[in-house]
Amino acid sequence: MHTGTSTTHDTHDAHDHIHPPPEGFVRKYVFSLDHKVIGFQYFFTGLLIMFIAGSFAELVRLQLTDPNGAIMSHTAYNEMFTMHGTAMVWLVLIPLVTGALGNFVMPLQIGARDVAFPWLNMASFWILPLAALILFSSMLWGGPHAGWTEYPPISLADGTAGALWCLAIFTIGISSTMTGLNFMVTIMKMRAPGMTWTRMPLFIWATFATALMNMVATVALSVAVGALFLEHVFNVPFYDAARGGSAVLYQHMFWFYSHPAVYIFIIPAFGVVSEVLPTFARKPIFGYKMIAFSSMAISILAFTVWMHHMFPSGIAPWLQLPFMILTYAIGIPTGIKIFSWMATIWGGRIHFTSSMLYALGFLITFTFGGITGVFLASVPVDLHMHGTVFVVGHFHYVVAGGAVMGFLAAIPYWYPKATGRMLNERLAQLGFWLFFIGLNGTFLPMHWLGLEGMPRRTATYAGFAKAFPDAVFWNQFETAFSFLMAASIGLLAINVIWSLRHGTLAGINPWGARTLEWTISSPPPYYNFKKIPQVFGRPYDFDQPLPYRNTDNELDEFPEFGRVLMPIPQPVGAGA
Amino acid sequence: MAAAVQHLSGHEAIAARYHDVDPVYGETRDLRLLGFVFFLLSDCILFSSFIFAYVYLRISAPAWPPFLNGHQLPWFDTSFAAMNSIVLFGSGVTMHFALENWKHLNKAKFNGWLIATIVLGIGFLLGQAHEYSVVGISWTGTTMGASFFTLTGMHGFHVFVGVLYLTILGLQANRGVYTGSKYFGLTAGTLYWHFVDVIWVFLFFLFYIW
Amino acid sequence: MSQSPSVVRFKGLGPGFWPVTAVLALLSIANAWYFLYGNIDWIMPGSSVPVTDRASDIDGLFKFMAVFGNGIMIFVAGYVIYFAIVFRARSTDSPDTVGVQIHDAPKLELWWTVLPTLLLILLTALSINVWYKIYFGTKAPALTMEVVGHQFYFEFRYPGLKTSVFSKTEPMHLPVGVPVRLLITSTDVIHQFWVPEIRLKAAAVPGLVQNLNFTPLRAGTYDIACSEFCGPDHSLMRGKLVIEPVAAFNKWLDTENKAAAAGGGALNLAGGSAAAGKALFAQKCAACHNNPPTPFDQKLVGPGLLHITDDPAHPTLVTGKTPTPEHIAEILQNGFTGPIGQMPNRQANGLSDKDIANAVAYLISLK
Repeated sequence: MHTGTSTTHDTHDAHDHIHPPPEGFVRKYVFSLDHKVIGFQYFFTGLLIMFIAGSFAELVRLQLTDPNGAIMSHTAYNEMFTMHGTAMVWLVLIPLVTGALGNFVMPLQIGARDVAFPWLNMASFWILPLAALILFSSMLWGGPHAGWTEYPPISLADGTAGALWCLAIFTIGISSTMTGLNFMVTIMKMRAPGMTWTRMPLFIWATFATALMNMVATVALSVAVGALFLEHVFNVPFYDAARGGSAVLYQHMFWFYSHPAVYIFIIPAFGVVSEVLPTFARKPIFGYKMIAFSSMAISILAFTVWMHHMFPSGIAPWLQLPFMILTYAIGIPTGIKIFSWMATIWGGRIHFTSSMLYALGFLITFTFGGITGVFLASVPVDLHMHGTVFVVGHFHYVVAGGAVMGFLAAIPYWYPKATGRMLNERLAQLGFWLFFIGLNGTFLPMHWLGLEGMPRRTATYAGFAKAFPDAVFWNQFETAFSFLMAASIGLLAINVIWSLRHGTLAGINPWGARTLEWTISSPPPYYNFKKIPQVFGRPYDFDQPLPYRNTDNELDEFPEFGRVLMPIPQPVGAGA
Repeated sequence: MAAAVQHLSGHEAIAARYHDVDPVYGETRDLRLLGFVFFLLSDCILFSSFIFAYVYLRISAPAWPPFLNGHQLPWFDTSFAAMNSIVLFGSGVTMHFALENWKHLNKAKFNGWLIATIVLGIGFLLGQAHEYSVVGISWTGTTMGASFFTLTGMHGFHVFVGVLYLTILGLQANRGVYTGSKYFGLTAGTLYWHFVDVIWVFLFFLFYIW
Repeated sequence: MSQSPSVVRFKGLGPGFWPVTAVLALLSIANAWYFLYGNIDWIMPGSSVPVTDRASDIDGLFKFMAVFGNGIMIFVAGYVIYFAIVFRARSTDSPDTVGVQIHDAPKLELWWTVLPTLLLILLTALSINVWYKIYFGTKAPALTMEVVGHQFYFEFRYPGLKTSVFSKTEPMHLPVGVPVRLLITSTDVIHQFWVPEIRLKAAAVPGLVQNLNFTPLRAGTYDIACSEFCGPDHSLMRGKLVIEPVAAFNKWLDTENKAAAAGGGALNLAGGSAAAGKALFAQKCAACHNNPPTPFDQKLVGPGLLHITDDPAHPTLVTGKTPTPEHIAEILQNGFTGPIGQMPNRQANGLSDKDIANAVAYLISLK
């Protein structure tokens, strides 16, 4: 029997066995079982689809430069915003934050050699291109038109394209559910010896909370769109009022998933911020337990607030109250996190890397989006704001200004670990400013346009512009700023590709960070850890030696910020 | 942060539990068991969501059974479905004995009980086919048909997959894939089969009793 | 390197912390002042002179949230920027310099949990108060009317009014000072009835009726918009609401009733101009019927109308009636729904009596 204090090779646990390396191009890069390669695959696929979905958004914005519609018919516009939303939600955001980030970072941070079910992981990835194919093929039949929510009865007019939309969403749902399951088992069962729950990095808490929601909520969506598919193809009456069905039923099932979905986007970003801020402020995360606890609280509460998307939709008035109250309640753990992150940078020694800039920008833009969410949570005020571009502004602040910003902070942070090279810092910082300014310029005016009376999903707005002539200026303003965001993502793609060849060599730990992935080489060997390290403390105490034993490499006890070349091994390290 | 109390965690804890059997196997089994349980949990959500839809539609309907073309649809015949349910629950009992016999290294009895399970499972499916032909409502006419056929159809599909799964397990067991101490596949199959039974308890109540 | 890193030191909560806090507090007070006493008509139309009693309640809630929400935003953004500046790494730092190694501060954390919670409890109470008034009203409604959503127009039905009022041709009317209940539903897909100055909306759902309660306070003309995506012309589904003194409202109802009585009989088809009808056909009918008109089987959305009066293969109209001018006019008036498809009625197409007469004249002139 071992206790964990001795070095560990007398217990032959399965994770002491390192399997032989994969051979051949196909095994190594196409049908790879390695979570790191799968992470790359999700990353590049997600980025590619982001370009497509982002182009659709730019077409939407160009259309709105003229109140009578500048470039396309109503039908084409409706198809554009529908495809933009659908692709972004299911084929970009979730694959990037869960599939790319979760896959690459999580096993490294817990000291594991891979996820619990690598074959399932590979299958989950390959579902993504399949689902994308199905979704984009729907455009051959005219595409779906009723928004990423595709409410019946209007979505039933989409015919074959509508049925394909349902099929695509159902398909990608399988991937999310399986990935959630995979990550939950990995985190519960495969952490390094000594890494108790309260010694886990906060990114792992975030990944766990997200995986829980992925695993439980996605199936409800599959049922919502599955029933819609049956109604499209076989005329089965779940939603048809004439035969006893209910359009509001769809909304219940759809939002029961889609509200947790938005937390699936944002909680990994919360995890990233909780890693990035301490590293670049050189001090511990403030309120570790509250941040960990609040991630779990949010992931549970996420299932209890869905009707706030339906306040004016025809639910019984008495039902609106508990959902209003729970929606307010979910703001408390979120607020606690924001304040804790602010306390994390207070009294620090802040290094303004591009990663840190994104994390700091996140604190501002996500908070703004969160506060407009509180406005929307109040039933009477929501009755004014629902269905207007105010809502579009709100959710882009929390999604683009929250989830995407968190993801953009993660790229420069973990790219050196993944590739062994640093991203071009100057280009990345320029990218930050373009994104931050572009985001605010595009989405801030939507708040007052919405309050003044501009509904969402409108291909033209001449009637509204007659009452509020400024609307034309603000729409053009928003379109102009949206191109800054597009440029930022373009620069990111260039940076990622250029730096693969020309970036500065990174070394093991360029940031002086303290989680386990920074104890192995950059990039890590295919098996991650030759010896599974032992953990005896939390990673965030910059004035304490690294809390690890039995590491593969000799490490500095107090890793310093800014070591970008391979360190010369020190004679006294973090051994026994 | 001092290295105070050493808690066993992760694979260290699992290896400790299986140290006298085979820690490598124990670890893998624990992972797969948890993974399979989570899979069944997500399958639970699948049925729960459709059940939610059925309950919602039924509660908000002005009359139940609903009217179609001026005539009220007939209630379901509980007695036949009750008999069919006994067939299905019986197959759960036989599966339990199959697994027990395997654990006690009784291959012949295991085969017997497993075959009985498969036969009863097929019997249930045939019973459902009969039920579908006599039930007198259509899938597309009203929400009653929509919910009945979709829910019991999904359940029937799960039973069908289960029958295939148990057949494959039986063949594998007889080929020597499982031993007296390593038989996770059989555990998973039994769990799945019991799960299918539990779902049927709810469906039977919701369509034939309520 | 096994030497402990050097921890940064500074006085109090940071250089200039309290002056910065004072500035942020002043900004918050300025924000509060602006929202409570300033003119916010530019973002909340009609807020300085409320159009309805509910609008005034909702604006009150909005202002409460703007005061505290914007205030919190000012402090968060302000402190983040201040901390970023004051606690930045200096080039004179040694490479192992670290920040203050604190993990938590229980009293601070308690305050920043309790205060927002109390604020939200207060907000809940205020919201529930307004919520109740909206859905249940404060007085029994003196006027209950129906709003019905269609693709792509609203239909308004008043008690005592024989016909409906359609948003494509006329505004909705409401009287000042009278508590009103709107019953809202739809005949096809989900729509949403919204008047920004009223601040209320409700989805028009087929198979459901929703209700909204309020009392108009200020006369004027306001925009109605559909705010739930309902199809290709969703952005065109708008209308006008006229709020007027009770006497004017009653007079309007009277006029409507008289027009309904007069127009209730057969349309006067004499004097229809085929030339005008031809122009009208190109403008309003060509979207669904081939122009120039074609034989029946050359369909676009609807059948070709070239031989509408003399087609041996189709001796009757789709309604099954003989193709007389009166029967043709009926289809134009009421629209048609059947296996062949759906044709909108005169309200949806925006056809006046004259239009119908001209269209009929044109169609019967075709051979």
